Amino acid sequence: MKLKKLAAVTLAGAMAASLVACGGNSGNSNTDANTDNNAVVDEDKNTDDSASDDSSSGNGDKLVIWTLAVDLEDMAAKYQEETGVECEVVVTAPADYPTKVETAILAGETEPDIIVGEPQMLDAYYEAGLCADLDALGAKDHEGEIVDYVWEKGKSPDGVQRAVSYQITPAGIYYRRDIAQEVFGTEDPEEIGKLFADYSTILETAKTLKDKGYKIFASDGEINYFANKEAWVVDDTLNVAQSRLDYMDLCVSLYQGGFTANAAAWSSPWYTAMAGEIPAYDASVNVWDEDALAEAAEGAEMTQVFAYGLPSWGVLTMRDNYKETEGKWGVCAGPSSGFGGGTYIGISENSERKEDAWKFIEWVCFNQDTLDWWLDYSKGDTVSNKETLDRHKDDENATYGNQKLYQFWLKEAEKIDLSIVTPYDTAISDAWNNAITSIKTGEKDKEAAIKEFYDVVESTYPEITVNR
Amino acid sequence: MGDKIKKGILYVCLVILALACLLPFYLMMINSTRSGAEIVTSFSMLPGKSLRENWEVITNYFNLFQGMKNSLLIAIPVTLLSGYFSAITAFALAMYKFKGRGVIFGVILVFMMIPSQLSLIGFYNLVSSLKLINSYIPLIVPAIASPGIVFFLKQYLESVLAPSLLEAARIDGASELYIFHKIVLPIMMPGIATMSIGTFIGSWNNYLLPLVLLTKTEKFTLPVLVASLKSSTDIVKNQGATYLSVAISVIPIIIAFIFFSRYIIDSIGAGAVKE
Amino acid sequence: MAGNSSTRKKKRNVNTAGYFFVFPFVVVFLIFNVYPVVRTFYLSFFNYKGYGDLEWKGLDNYTRVFTDKFFWRALGNTCKIWGVNIVLQLGLAFLLTIVFSDMKYRIKGLGVFRAIFYLPNLIAATSVAFLFRTLLDFQYGTLNQMLMSIGLIDATTFANPQSIVNWLGNPRVAPFVVSIIQAWMWFGNSFILLMAGVQGINRDYFEAAAIDGAGRWTSFAKITIPLLRPILIYVAITSLIGGLQLFDIPFLINDQGTSGNPEGKLQTVVMYLYRFGFEGGTKKQVGYASAIAYVLFLIILIVSVLEFKFMNRKEAD
Repeated sequence: MKLKKLAAVTLAGAMAASLVACGGNSGNSNTDANTDNNAVVDEDKNTDDSASDDSSSGNGDKLVIWTLAVDLEDMAAKYQEETGVECEVVVTAPADYPTKVETAILAGETEPDIIVGEPQMLDAYYEAGLCADLDALGAKDHEGEIVDYVWEKGKSPDGVQRAVSYQITPAGIYYRRDIAQEVFGTEDPEEIGKLFADYSTILETAKTLKDKGYKIFASDGEINYFANKEAWVVDDTLNVAQSRLDYMDLCVSLYQGGFTANAAAWSSPWYTAMAGEIPAYDASVNVWDEDALAEAAEGAEMTQVFAYGLPSWGVLTMRDNYKETEGKWGVCAGPSSGFGGGTYIGISENSERKEDAWKFIEWVCFNQDTLDWWLDYSKGDTVSNKETLDRHKDDENATYGNQKLYQFWLKEAEKIDLSIVTPYDTAISDAWNNAITSIKTGEKDKEAAIKEFYDVVESTYPEITVNR
Repeated sequence: MGDKIKKGILYVCLVILALACLLPFYLMMINSTRSGAEIVTSFSMLPGKSLRENWEVITNYFNLFQGMKNSLLIAIPVTLLSGYFSAITAFALAMYKFKGRGVIFGVILVFMMIPSQLSLIGFYNLVSSLKLINSYIPLIVPAIASPGIVFFLKQYLESVLAPSLLEAARIDGASELYIFHKIVLPIMMPGIATMSIGTFIGSWNNYLLPLVLLTKTEKFTLPVLVASLKSSTDIVKNQGATYLSVAISVIPIIIAFIFFSRYIIDSIGAGAVKE
Repeated sequence: MAGNSSTRKKKRNVNTAGYFFVFPFVVVFLIFNVYPVVRTFYLSFFNYKGYGDLEWKGLDNYTRVFTDKFFWRALGNTCKIWGVNIVLQLGLAFLLTIVFSDMKYRIKGLGVFRAIFYLPNLIAATSVAFLFRTLLDFQYGTLNQMLMSIGLIDATTFANPQSIVNWLGNPRVAPFVVSIIQAWMWFGNSFILLMAGVQGINRDYFEAAAIDGAGRWTSFAKITIPLLRPILIYVAITSLIGGLQLFDIPFLINDQGTSGNPEGKLQTVVMYLYRFGFEGGTKKQVGYASAIAYVLFLIILIVSVLEFKFMNRKEAD
């Protein structure tokens, strides 16, 4: 009997403890008894190591930058070179990035100082209170220097500036001028744009290219950026616009017609195809090794990819992968205006170096010298700074057949409407792409795949109404 | 004669099975010395010459030895703490009569059945509100309370320790703590060692908990660090570098196993027979 | 239990030491074992985004789990992967036990074979996942290179992603591949346990049976299996508990993460839980993840009890 009593008391105690802790957790209880507990690993056993850990735990002069892509890595290296401020850059795969940032900042970690986010991540960041107030650091001084839609997206719903992007991200079709000349007798962006005017035209273009031994795209998802015309969620209701269904049909047709190189976007073969010849069906041949490639070319059928659908920052991807095809590319309009991604830079609410971090952001987004360097270094990335854009609007880009790329991007950027971005986009697009994969590989018919898609959305987000 | 042939066939089957266990590791080692281009174009059982290049690719991205050091910084204290505190708890539960003993033992039995996923969310929540993310405390200190090990050691102790031995020591005036350290602990040592091997391996290989609790690369344990290689396009593009990363994480374990395999295997058998 | 010969005073002292000895255990146990479990339970009644306020939901999270088709699909996936795995794992371990305990053939080299068979179990699941993910890659993997070099497949295979040798991308093949990897990792462990059990059986039984004219199979069925039952129960239950918590390998075996693609066939319950409870950027639902954890626990509990009863009843027959 006494034992039972004790058990009851113990359990009650545990419950009480949990309730107390719950209360403390939901608010902003600042128990900063542990300001520097990182290094305290079992004190009596590891004194040496905890000392060495201490030096690397962020209290030094380092600016810690967590990023999704290599762009900030290059910029930080340059910044360090110019200013002497030590920067530590950690690149994390996009799938893991938000998890990491949320975990660190919500737990009160002082690292990282600088965080980045793509537009669809920002609302969640603002809501969770991850991003510091940039107005307090002087963001207001730069009002009007940045293309408006970018500047607005950097504001949380209460109107406070919390992130800035140095980029604008309109999308276009990157195509091979030499192939265009051979197959279509012209390489003029205006004319080639007409070949991508709508989905049925794209399929015809694909057929023409296939007959000549080329693949129109590397993956079947290249029109992705142009299909995002309406928000996925409107008034808490799932919105499957006709444009989504058309896109689905297009992907399936491209895949089943054998018009693409069957590469998954952002996979190694996808990058490789930017450099030119790839084996037509025989993907077993190593496409990075020139000797093996030449060898295979004798026996196997080779092909080349005509076009990629990418936002303006695609020039960076191109730059790192086009190798011998440098200078052979052009950019034209897609079937509609589109946009994708964009690195928005913010400062962690917990950063102990907010001012230094802000200096870095200013250097990246507003400093004309930096931006000039970046345009050159990136081989034509498009910045968001109005003054820079204006000064460079007549630049001819040698990599892209001396095309005046900035004029093109600026025109496309005017059509960008970020209000269609929702925090649900990543998950819902993934589910939609899964449905497309199911259909194109024949796992499910269209009806079943779309039903499954509805089920996924419904069970993942109970707050979204799904009208089938 | 027939028997001899049958026996021969059995041996062949066993050797094939053994090869199936070893071949992936062999290929891993071979491929980590070959270039990404070689690996994807041809298959070879002989080493290549690209070890250095592969090594450079991975050292550009991460420091696996830091990960190894971190894993040791966790696994060693975990093993020591769980061994010592489980022993002393088992000793108390087996040899003393005090109120609540039964309850503790009952709760231990219940918690042995509870999957770790049940506490994962609450644990993360606790660690986060204590601001212990990126600290090794939540990965080490909980080892003090290891229900499974306490259970095993209690059974073990009851089978190897005669209470009369304690009485004799008490009559000689030894304190209880002294008795535990000088008499009981040495007797329990084989049992503790058995459990410690499993604890060490479990801690060394643990992935989900450090994945959830660590955000700084320099704090990552080896499994988390290895898994992070997918963030590096340079490594993903070069299979040789991927193999080398895996090999570096695996080879120390294989070497340790060559030396300690007997103890490790005995410890597994012992664990089951006792429980 | 201890000391009934000592004086009353001394006895009290002695037992006080017991409190002293269990104190660290109890404190840490309450903080790091009991509290998290209770906290998870508490959270399972709320809507919680990982920050901000808790919003009371009552039993909603639980009704949601029970009606969530994808939770059940994940459970089904987990069970299938585990089921194939356990058949392979225990089957192989059993065969090996028979071979090595056979009195007639007296197979040598138990020590070496046992060590080799056990080796895969020692390697971290993350390393195993990356090793096989690279070896089994559809177009660039070493296994398919081997198959091509012996002429079983040719280059045109790679034009067809639905091919059976797309080990990790074909929804019909990938779960089996994970099962086989799991079995590969664990059969050595089961073998050691069964072998330890056999070696614990008194040789006299077998000799007595042999004198009575019992054949190898009879003595195996009548002596070995019944005496191994406790170990079999142990292996089956621990494997089931571990199997239902399957995470590392299917999570890391391809690039698909918690979606468990191809076709969601690799999505396990713990991946589903992780997706809601930990994955950032997609609106965390920590309360729902907590409810999933408790439903998973409930299922493990029920199945363990049933398994235990079932195995024991067999013994009674």
